[in-house]
Amino acid sequence: MKTFSKIYLGFLTLAMLLWAMPWAINFALSRPGRSPFVMYSPLIKDFILYSHDETNGLKRHDTQGNTYTEAQADSLLPTFYVRQLVTDGRWPDTLLGRHVTPHEVQRTNFSFRSNAADVNAIGVELYMLQEAMSGRVEMELPSDVLRFTPNGLEFIDMASNTVDAEKSQRFTETLKAKGFAFPPRHIASNPSTRKDYDNGMLLLDAQNQLFHLKQLRGRPYARHVELPEGLEPRQLFVTEFRDRQLLGLLCDAENTLWALRANDYTLHRTGITRFDPQRDNISIVGNMFDWTVRISTPQTERWLAIDATSLQLIDTLTISPNRGFHMPGLCFGSPTSPHLRPRWR
Amino acid sequence: MLKSIILKEWLKTRWYLIFAAIVTIAYSAFLMLRMHRAIDLKGAAHIWEVMLLRDTIFINSLSVLPLLVGLVLALMQFYPEMQRKCLKLTLHLPFSRMQTTLAMLLYGLLALVLCFAMSFILMRLSMQTILPPELIKHVLLSSLPWFTAGIAAYLLGAWVILEPTWKRRIAYILLSALLLRVFFVSDTPEAYNQFMPWLALLTLLCASLSWLSVHRFIDGQQD
Repeated sequence: MKTFSKIYLGFLTLAMLLWAMPWAINFALSRPGRSPFVMYSPLIKDFILYSHDETNGLKRHDTQGNTYTEAQADSLLPTFYVRQLVTDGRWPDTLLGRHVTPHEVQRTNFSFRSNAADVNAIGVELYMLQEAMSGRVEMELPSDVLRFTPNGLEFIDMASNTVDAEKSQRFTETLKAKGFAFPPRHIASNPSTRKDYDNGMLLLDAQNQLFHLKQLRGRPYARHVELPEGLEPRQLFVTEFRDRQLLGLLCDAENTLWALRANDYTLHRTGITRFDPQRDNISIVGNMFDWTVRISTPQTERWLAIDATSLQLIDTLTISPNRGFHMPGLCFGSPTSPHLRPRWR
Repeated sequence: MLKSIILKEWLKTRWYLIFAAIVTIAYSAFLMLRMHRAIDLKGAAHIWEVMLLRDTIFINSLSVLPLLVGLVLALMQFYPEMQRKCLKLTLHLPFSRMQTTLAMLLYGLLALVLCFAMSFILMRLSMQTILPPELIKHVLLSSLPWFTAGIAAYLLGAWVILEPTWKRRIAYILLSALLLRVFFVSDTPEAYNQFMPWLALLTLLCASLSWLSVHRFIDGQQD
């Protein structure tokens, strides 16, 4: 017993030293590096980088080394700085040979963000299906939540904490009639009051089939989405951008992002590849001409420019930010997962 | 002999245990009443929304209470033994020294588990009418590391107090503080789910550390 106690004490001491010492050293010595902000300019067909220089402060430049003033950068990114250009009276009549109004630009601008920590989040298996046709301007959260069971779905009224059997049956039957196999493997939605409209839920059923589910005036709307041959969905994202062109984004088993068009439910392969939603963070700033995509991991940042019409890759830029000194050690948390466990990092 | 040891421990700690049970249960009841009151004021839907969309569990302030309860129990149970040198007498009882030490620790462990279980059950029953099973499970699983930290605090406290020399005691205090910090690294609900079985095992193994201190006491180690 004494020997075991000694060994156990040695183990605990070693583990705590491997945890505390690197943490203390990193805390004292490491300085977080600043990553540049990058946007793709369709006018110069290059990325514009906003990087911090120790001596000159903020520096705006492209990948060829050309530097720009603030006003020049505003003009080179007209869809991003639309309000500034309008305020300055510098809004052009045409953009890339096309007559575009500031209103049109603002309507088609969007931003999308997904963090690995959110994808890996520990969620309670209760979901909110908002009313997509309430007739009200302001979005409201529903008065019930739903849970999926092996045989169907159940709506639970929040006020009474009881299952609404009639509504549950109606939605279950609708989904089953469309060929949905319970229980779903993946569920995506954006319950929020801070959006213009609701796109409902994207569901991946037990047989890996993709479905769209909405609630329209309390009644179910379900639609089966045909997947292109060989496409294995892995992660779903519902999008509710102002221009209503997209229903969602989908990441497949090969880490390629697909866009699901809202008007015809067709899936389009994008030029965004090598994106692992469970390990990488992604942000997309889109406009009517192109999307600037940032895929970041703790080691590198990849910037992609995607054509907004064809969704094909236009340009890429890889940056390895200076993360400063880092001493590896034992840690429990992770920037990509909320689950705690011993990790060597 | 086992019964006599348990009776001795009970006589030593009974008033504290009753106080600790009352405080733990009363605080859990207060948190539950607060949740019920919030539902009365803002409606159940609001509370469900906050829990689902903002990952709030409403019982975060309970987190350090089990730790304090465990630590003070170790103090109440073992400090008199060391201060009045009763441990010397206890270890000379016609019972194996290791079994005596384990019996003392087992008594404390069972007392703590009982105290924490009452709080746990009270919260479970109180939430039953207002929350669905998924949210109740979410809240209770999130509180599990805090109760385990209470048990770890008791076992580590016993280890530190039973240690006869101050030099080692200070080192043990530092190590114990780091070990207890592990239970509070993240305040994300259910963050410890995967790690919990291992953490529980490591906690129970901490009972073996007290034997080291007792052994040093038997060997006559002094400052």
